Amino acid sequence: MSTETGWRLRITHTTRVSYDGDARASYNELRMAPLTLPGQTVLGSRITVQPHVAVWTYWDYWGSEVAAFDLQAAHPSLVMVAASTVETSPAPPLPDPPPWTDLPGLARELGLDEYLVPTDRTRVSEEIAGRARSLVEGLDPHDAALRLAAWIRDRVDYVAGATAVTTSAQEAWEVRQGVCQDIAHLTVGVHRAVGLPARYVSGYLHPDPDARPGDTMEGQSHAWVEYWAGDWVAHDPTNRIPAGECHVTVARGRDYDDVPPLKGIYHGAPSSVMDVTVEVTRLF
Amino acid sequence: MADLFDDYLPAAAWDEMFERAGVPRSAYGPVLAALQPLDKGELRFRADQLARVFTDRGVTFDYAGEERPFPLDLLPRVIDAAEWAVIDQGVRQRVRTLEAFLADVYGPAEIFRDGLVPWRLVCSSAHFHRQVAGLTPPNGVRAHVSGIDLIRDEDGRFRVLEDNVRTPSGVSYVMENRLAMTRTFPSLFAEQHVHPVDEYPARLLHALRAAAPAGVDDPVVAVLTPGVGNAAYFEHTLLARLMGVELVEGRDLLCAGNRVYIQTTQGRRPVHVIYRRIDDGYLDPLHFNAGSVIGCPGIVNAARAGNVTIANAVGNGVADDKLIYTYVPEMIRYYLGEEPVLANVESHRLESPDVVEWVLDRLGDLVLKPVDGSGGKGIVIGPHASDRDLAELRIKVEADPRAWIAQRPVALSTVPTLTENGPAPRHVDLRPFAVNDGEDVWVLPGGLTRVALPEGELVVNSSQGGGSKDTWVLAAERVREPQAPPIPMPRVTPDATVPEGGPAEGAQQQ
Amino acid sequence: MTTGLLSRIAETLFWIGRYVERADDTARILDVHVHRMLEEPSGDEDAGCRALLAILGVPAAPGERIDIGTVLAGLAFADDGPSSIAGALQAARTGGRSVREVVSTEMWECLNVTWHELPDRRRAAGRLGPHMFLRYVRERAALFSGLADATMSRDEGWHFLVLGRSLERIDMTARLLSLRMPSASYAPDWSMLLRASGADESYIRTHGGTGDPAQVAAFLMLDRLFPRSVLHALTLAEDCLAALDPDPSRAGFTDAARRPIGRMRTRLEYTDTTLLLGQLPELLPALQRACVEASAAVTEKYFQYALPVAWAQEG
Repeated sequence: MSTETGWRLRITHTTRVSYDGDARASYNELRMAPLTLPGQTVLGSRITVQPHVAVWTYWDYWGSEVAAFDLQAAHPSLVMVAASTVETSPAPPLPDPPPWTDLPGLARELGLDEYLVPTDRTRVSEEIAGRARSLVEGLDPHDAALRLAAWIRDRVDYVAGATAVTTSAQEAWEVRQGVCQDIAHLTVGVHRAVGLPARYVSGYLHPDPDARPGDTMEGQSHAWVEYWAGDWVAHDPTNRIPAGECHVTVARGRDYDDVPPLKGIYHGAPSSVMDVTVEVTRLF
Repeated sequence: MADLFDDYLPAAAWDEMFERAGVPRSAYGPVLAALQPLDKGELRFRADQLARVFTDRGVTFDYAGEERPFPLDLLPRVIDAAEWAVIDQGVRQRVRTLEAFLADVYGPAEIFRDGLVPWRLVCSSAHFHRQVAGLTPPNGVRAHVSGIDLIRDEDGRFRVLEDNVRTPSGVSYVMENRLAMTRTFPSLFAEQHVHPVDEYPARLLHALRAAAPAGVDDPVVAVLTPGVGNAAYFEHTLLARLMGVELVEGRDLLCAGNRVYIQTTQGRRPVHVIYRRIDDGYLDPLHFNAGSVIGCPGIVNAARAGNVTIANAVGNGVADDKLIYTYVPEMIRYYLGEEPVLANVESHRLESPDVVEWVLDRLGDLVLKPVDGSGGKGIVIGPHASDRDLAELRIKVEADPRAWIAQRPVALSTVPTLTENGPAPRHVDLRPFAVNDGEDVWVLPGGLTRVALPEGELVVNSSQGGGSKDTWVLAAERVREPQAPPIPMPRVTPDATVPEGGPAEGAQQQ
Repeated sequence: MTTGLLSRIAETLFWIGRYVERADDTARILDVHVHRMLEEPSGDEDAGCRALLAILGVPAAPGERIDIGTVLAGLAFADDGPSSIAGALQAARTGGRSVREVVSTEMWECLNVTWHELPDRRRAAGRLGPHMFLRYVRERAALFSGLADATMSRDEGWHFLVLGRSLERIDMTARLLSLRMPSASYAPDWSMLLRASGADESYIRTHGGTGDPAQVAAFLMLDRLFPRSVLHALTLAEDCLAALDPDPSRAGFTDAARRPIGRMRTRLEYTDTTLLLGQLPELLPALQRACVEASAAVTEKYFQYALPVAWAQEG
């Protein structure tokens, strides 16, 4: 069973927003609660907000759990804490890949159309798409997916701060720098360009694959990809590894815009300072 | 004296008044009899009076940034009872089908699994709003108000040109046109049994109340307008006034704890049903265009929580997309197991390369419509287009064929319309309005007849400089007016004198 | 009505009340002034016109000579702001458009038709002189008041409309009387002020034809029966505020809008009429301040709704 090889993780995701002056009439949605999936079981999950306010949850089109709340009274700052306990498991064995020729028909049958078309965030130039296609010639879908992920990672350096939350795949490609979000967007983009259905995954990562139970680490809000080749396969292009026991899946969609951890609007000065910390503890 | 219609020559289309020159259709007999003795000068005078009345009453629309009286043509359009029965049935069928389709799109998605409509069409539509997936309206209704645009082809058959289930406008002109006509031409109505149109606000209010969230017995309804600057502002005020509900702007609303309130001089008052005349994209800055200042943040989640009903529902645009339009006859069979009462105009989807090529070869003989367009924008009528227009069109179609459908050009029917030189044939369409209260779909007898005023013009839209006509649906039998009890009178009536007060001049002594 | 009126609508009605009254009062003042200029061509036209512009809060270009044409252009026909007649009527009509579902059709049509007619009336004024234009404005304002009176329920909306009108009337009358300040370089005579207030006939019926300045000032300020007197307008404004918020306090008033109005009203009521003339230089600015204070308090208390501001994004 998964408890033998999988991990139990506790995640505390804290977001502090300080406003320049007071914010009023603030409306927010959080996508921070992990999903229960094959290979991932949520034992508990809770979102608290300071100033105290009732939080309401719903499941959106993508199957993500959304916590929504509004605050009418003026407040100088806002603190949101998403805490959860999750059991994860190692990456499952790869499914048998269908032949490339069957992929379009299967994708249509299974309603995966929206994972095949580029979005504004994932669109890559015809030049990149052409190179991607030539790279995967003769490879089966799994090898192709990994080859493309590695190719992107080789060319895009992980540099925090080089890009912004609104950067598109193509923009990140042009500066050859980015963070996990950009690398995931680019990977999704080239997967789709070669006809492989692919989606963007938002979640958490325990940074130390050799962590022992009891270790608390500064973790991170992370992004990786899933591609479809007979079944969905999760892969972390930033770290060049399959997504396994260190990865906790929160939300999946076409790109970041479908799964933002925090989305909100408020009345007040547009400048605000946001401080995010993620603590990940391996419990056993 | 020469008769008004002596010089009238029907065009190469179905003329609704004349079978052929000089031979009127029976439905128009009484109208013709009443109009014929009038001379052109008299008609012109009345037309000017009418425009003046509209300007004074503020029955206007914005044309090129200018406030103009809504152009009502004095010659009515007449639809007889048998013709109307077909329209009524066809529109209701269409609305029920579109409702079923919308429920399917935002719910179980069965029609896609059954392979009738490609899922790809929906998920690539700009109006498919995933934000409302799984949001089921309280009484199941999403298209509380629909406007189904019809045209009449060369053989006199009504066909559907376009469905409008987002926020169709124009119903205020139906009511105002009738009011103006009865005031300007009372004599015309004397011999006619015309269905009244003033029932609409009550029907709409009933449907909106019926759509209230569960457990709300006496719902508060409001009409949400983008504001005075909106082209249809007049309509928003008229509907609010006739329904006796509040007309609000986004800034009058406040969402808190998934409930929506109106801000009043005495604090917050809850509101339960919002008939919104704001496009989806501006309705909720949290979920859509974050820059919108005319919307109300939180309203979509309030609807999701079941505390407020948004009418029409968010995301309806996915059903009135012109590509989806081409599937509606199939949907009628699929959802209702019925044959379509009203046919579509023959249309081609530019899906396969063969069709694209076929269409590109005969752009000059077809009508090309942008899938996302509304209000007649972007339509190219091949036979009327210049070579340059066609060349530009070709580039656009080649670049993105999915963005277009091609249709056979239909010579829309004509109705005599007052021009500088007296009555002349002008092309018309018809937008009947349907209201769905969840139990039944009701179609306002009549609807908006829009007239393309330039000779030969086929695009009929007020935003393109079109006019309108009062549209009469004749009752099969005389509509019985409810008989009011006689006005009570004193038993002994002295000489009918108006009581006068005050000292009379040269006060008479008695 | 216990459900409350939309704050935005309440505010709009309040301002419609003010704008229509402003157009009316400005027309009255201009009419008398123009007439006077024509009767006495020897008077100092420039000084008189400047005084008038100053009183009505319209800046005048320093160097140029100002004549009656400039004044009419700025105070009657300019449509670039609500301090002129045309501007005020346009603002009232725009407001009317956005509240037409709560006012009667007749009231809306009155505002709408007036606005549509203005260009024609203005052209006619070019031929026939300004009087016809100014009279038209007065008549339309009277029609609007009459229609409001005859067709509006006496609910909150009514009270806001009348409150706006009353505050504007107090303010405008105070401005008009300021023309008589001893410091003014140009002073119209008292009978002119009476006419400008539409009070000449009523005054003569009450006090006879002799224009005693003290008596005229007292009539315009303190008459309890004449509807355009300051005291009458103050009383009406106070009644409106009381109707909007019947204050249950045992001591004092919690309503910040009522305080300045009530204070002025009692002060005027108990003023010794023989001393009034001397007190005017201090009293008139105080009246204007009270109007500003009350207006601000009403805004704070009743017109709080989300102003259209941009939303800032998080995340």
